Amino acid sequence: MKNNEVNDGETPSISRIDKTIHEPARLVIMAHLFVVESADFLFLQRQTRLTWGNLSSHVSKLEDAGYVDVKKEFVDRKPHTVLQLTNKGRTAFQEYRQSMKQLFKELPE
Amino acid sequence: MVEKIDLKKIERKIYTSYHQDGLIDIFAGFFILSFGITMWVIPDMAWMGWMFFIVGTSLYAAAKRVFTIPRIGFVKFAPHRVKALVTMALVVFSLSALLGVVALMQTEGGGTPIWLLFAIENPMLVIGVSVAASFCVVGYTFRTKRMYAYALLTLIMFVTGHFLYFPLHYYVILLGSLILVFGLTMLIRFVRRYPLSATDTMGESGNEEQ
Repeated sequence: MKNNEVNDGETPSISRIDKTIHEPARLVIMAHLFVVESADFLFLQRQTRLTWGNLSSHVSKLEDAGYVDVKKEFVDRKPHTVLQLTNKGRTAFQEYRQSMKQLFKELPE
Repeated sequence: MVEKIDLKKIERKIYTSYHQDGLIDIFAGFFILSFGITMWVIPDMAWMGWMFFIVGTSLYAAAKRVFTIPRIGFVKFAPHRVKALVTMALVVFSLSALLGVVALMQTEGGGTPIWLLFAIENPMLVIGVSVAASFCVVGYTFRTKRMYAYALLTLIMFVTGHFLYFPLHYYVILLGSLILVFGLTMLIRFVRRYPLSATDTMGESGNEEQ
């Protein structure tokens, strides 16, 4: 049986959990972007305490999933990256939170 | 995992870290200090202290661009928070204007209302409470707890001053200097803690901790 087919009515519905967001580092990135309108790469790195490479790779995955909009621009001839949650990303994050709350509620004592 | 993700806590952390540079303290301290010095040197023109507020606002924004953004990056806060700040500013402004109008209307009849007489006779208490309330508003708006400490310090200083009978500007200068020194200390610590970053972008190598 696959992991996402465990919901037999008694076990919690794990299949509803978005695996892209569920990864701890990506969850932290999504949570930080969720509470602001936008942030640049440096700010996100300082806040999440992820290494440059780690953050870059996770942001790329979130961008591929259509959750994060990445805008690259030049400010004073220096590269500058601004990140923002897309509407799809915002909805996915809210759904993820609901799913997790539900999952914990469904877990037996 | 979801239990550990507290969005309010994250939002508060973002606000706190964005204002850990001490610039708001330097701005407030300098504003109070300039008021105190004006009251001392040219008491009849103490209102000139307000001029720093206008100049200081643009200086604050410029300092933020020079010290903070290159070191910890840039964040644009959520629209609902910006809206809350504007609402807060409007409420404070409206209440102050309303108080002024009420005072004007009550004095027009010839007599001075008791509360206004109290304010005139006890300037230390009134100024102390007003400044402390302003610090509370700033603390709430920018989610910086140290502003509440400044509010408490202001209350202690001005209530003590009410009984000691030293000139008012002594306390204003002392309060402004203390806050300014604290802000400068914070800025120095901030600059040391966050050195300038060579890059802040994806896909380019930088000197950040790898």
